[in-house]
Amino acid sequence: MDPQIDSPVIGHPSSDIYLPHPALITSMCSLTALDMLFEIHVPSPEVHTPSPGQFVEVSLPGIGEAPISVCSFSNHPHQFQILVRRIGNVTQALHQLQIGKSIGIRGPFGTTFPVDRELRKQNILFIAGGLGLAPLRSAIQYVLHRRWDYGKLIILYGSRTPDEQLFLEDLHDWKSRKDLTYLETVDRGGPNWKGRVGVITTLFSLLNLEDDPWSAIICGPPVMYSFVLRELRQRQIPNELIYVSLERRMKCGVGMCGHCQINGLYVCQDGPVFRYKDLIHLQEAL
Amino acid sequence: MSVKQISTNMLRGWIDGLLLQKTVIGPVQHQGHFRFESITSSDQLALDYDVTDLPPKKFLLPPREVMMTFRSSGEFQSVMEFHPFVLFGVHPYDMIAINQMDRVFSEKLVDIHYLTRRNACSIVALDPVAVAPHNFSGCMGTATVEKGWDLLLTPLPQDGYLLEIGTEKGNTLLHSIYELPDASLDQLQLREQRWNQNQKSMRRHELKCAPDDLPDLLEQNYDHPLWQEKSSQCLSCGACNIVCPTCYCFDIQDEVDWSLETGVRCRAWDGCLLRDFAEVAGGHNFRKQSAERYRHRFYRKASYLPKRFGEIACVGCGRCISACIPNISNPVEVYNQLVGE
Amino acid sequence: MSKPQVAIFDLAGCEGCQLQIVNLEDSLLQLLSLVDVVEWREAISNHGPEIDIALVEGCLEREEDVARLLHIREKSKILVALGSCAISGGVHQMRNALSSLEARQITYGNNGFLKHLDVHEKVQSLDQIVKVDYSIPGCPIHRQELSYVLRCLALGRIPFIPTYPVCVECRIQENLCLWQQGQLCLGPLTRAGCHATCPSHGTPCIGCRGYSSDANPQGLRQSLNRYHKTPEEFEHHLNLFLGSSLEHAHA
Repeated sequence: MDPQIDSPVIGHPSSDIYLPHPALITSMCSLTALDMLFEIHVPSPEVHTPSPGQFVEVSLPGIGEAPISVCSFSNHPHQFQILVRRIGNVTQALHQLQIGKSIGIRGPFGTTFPVDRELRKQNILFIAGGLGLAPLRSAIQYVLHRRWDYGKLIILYGSRTPDEQLFLEDLHDWKSRKDLTYLETVDRGGPNWKGRVGVITTLFSLLNLEDDPWSAIICGPPVMYSFVLRELRQRQIPNELIYVSLERRMKCGVGMCGHCQINGLYVCQDGPVFRYKDLIHLQEAL
Repeated sequence: MSVKQISTNMLRGWIDGLLLQKTVIGPVQHQGHFRFESITSSDQLALDYDVTDLPPKKFLLPPREVMMTFRSSGEFQSVMEFHPFVLFGVHPYDMIAINQMDRVFSEKLVDIHYLTRRNACSIVALDPVAVAPHNFSGCMGTATVEKGWDLLLTPLPQDGYLLEIGTEKGNTLLHSIYELPDASLDQLQLREQRWNQNQKSMRRHELKCAPDDLPDLLEQNYDHPLWQEKSSQCLSCGACNIVCPTCYCFDIQDEVDWSLETGVRCRAWDGCLLRDFAEVAGGHNFRKQSAERYRHRFYRKASYLPKRFGEIACVGCGRCISACIPNISNPVEVYNQLVGE
Repeated sequence: MSKPQVAIFDLAGCEGCQLQIVNLEDSLLQLLSLVDVVEWREAISNHGPEIDIALVEGCLEREEDVARLLHIREKSKILVALGSCAISGGVHQMRNALSSLEARQITYGNNGFLKHLDVHEKVQSLDQIVKVDYSIPGCPIHRQELSYVLRCLALGRIPFIPTYPVCVECRIQENLCLWQQGQLCLGPLTRAGCHATCPSHGTPCIGCRGYSSDANPQGLRQSLNRYHKTPEEFEHHLNLFLGSSLEHAHA
């Protein structure tokens, strides 16, 4: 006799954590040769507005999924921006899409920069290297929305070359603002580059951090952290006031698949934003 | 619930009756090895098996499963498999591994694909009479099992079995047979003896510390030279991952059909010993050295997962020991070497 | 959208990989609904100035092979190395341990010195001459893998070809490990994707798909004693496909 077969299809993301929500690309803007800024609209009321520091899994049918950090903050529900660097299968295919195309979104996932909690009323030092500016931008936007609620702000940004600088409009705005300090550098300048040349840690010599207590938020390529953390240590910024956002292979986003594990932690659920104090004894972290 | 007695003949008849209604999966012998597979007659069952090459998890988390279908226009639809089956003859160590997977896939967030299959599954656990060549479940406290099963069979020394009913689901499986006689006090005592004996005999490797001490032991030995020494022979072949009843890491891949319009998103087993496991787009590999991956497995089993779920994620089945070609995967050997210093 | 134009070329090889394309049988028609085959020495020749996807079988033995490959590369948007000869020289690379004259003499005796048998001193793989975009390993290739790769390329994505060893696929099928059955199997060193076809039929893996990532032949050498195998036996097996190709192993 045939076994009893019954295949209920529960086709709803609220019951299937792996099922993407339909979303629309509402704008696309090329920022560098490799980076494209997308604005995404997710109509589903079940998708929460991402908090600063969180990421989403972007799905393209037939291509796959990729974890991408949300790089904006707005109170506009269901609408956010992601910065997509063309380095893998999904990101490559995303660049070839057009406005109005539909994609899949899961999330937002992960921990947030505590801009609405511990960081209120604090002096904040943002340190971004390369693509690390993308997740930091969501926190910076949040803080600038409520500028009155924070102390002094410093943004340090290092890129490899002038051509790789992201969010030029934001950089321009930050440069011109009186209520924050913005410093930038590039590893290798060019004929038209008049700014600073050198790795990001060279910017620290321009700062006077000794007189006030500071909190720091860091995001950048793996190689950057140890150098930046050394500078912060020298300036007596305590480990519990340092926040880092880490990248790993967040395949499932829900703490199941095992790929993003750092020692005992899952970046997709316990991170991507960590307090440095909680990572200091994890050899795989930084 | 209650404990009954059942003769071997009656047991066989009951299984054959079940086969008329359901898929029954149990241990079957092939060239001196055992595999869980779908049977067509109770004669195929090797109820005196020692260990199967792969654990029964392959029926709950298949090596490859379709999670959803999609259309290129952007619609995704879940695919759930609800196909009632009986998993027959699961040894205690494997049952405990399934209990752990149940928690992983339902405690914080619900994995509906796993859970649908799990709910379709009835488990008849079986206390073993043969000890596999590398089994050390006695040291891990996993030679006997109290929960998770719907029915528990314990062989009696002469003939027949005791059958304990653990759940209503288990009770339903018994509907096709007449009321079974209750186990006698003597028989219950024999069952206790079997359990005690299994806890003593299922120790082909003797762990020199209590399982609960393992997280601390590992904490102190992250930079121990042993990781480098042992892993120099590691083939990064993932055999230890594949055969492990508590490994559940997976990869997800899309496959399109010829039209390029429709396709499936599949989940497939992955393993932390495989080189690309921790590699991100762009090529950075966060566990590039084979020693790092080798160490990760032991930490995951005896430190990381225990800290998350409160249980050591090694059930002492010894499959990784049998599967490892260079013979470097024996957890007891590794832990004892760390204890020994 | 017009269908991608695919051309199939052969350099030095046995044409076994091309035979696998023919062996697609039922799905050959589906393949043809997806792509246009514009050149195939066996059947077709009507390509235009540009080819979307060139599938190149075989390795480089002779001077004219190099010119031909450069020409193929020049007119192809995507170049796919088809099979182990194209990827690493395949069985041909065994002669790289000898001088070409020695090899010719062993093979053809005194006739080996005839002019038309002139070959390069060393066998070369495609990537030693031109940029190779994708590789489909195997001797011969696995036809399902070929059709998968073509679908991926038609979709504009990078195909996922496992880099882990054959053992993963072999263990999943619950095969008895051939090492433990007294055989010398190269599965632990060889890139998967073949569904462990040979070991599943009781035949040891001979390494035709090339090295897996982080292949550790040195580690396996240390286990030979335990399985009563000699280093000579091991090196002999390795020679067939994996002899000189460790440096070729993909990044």
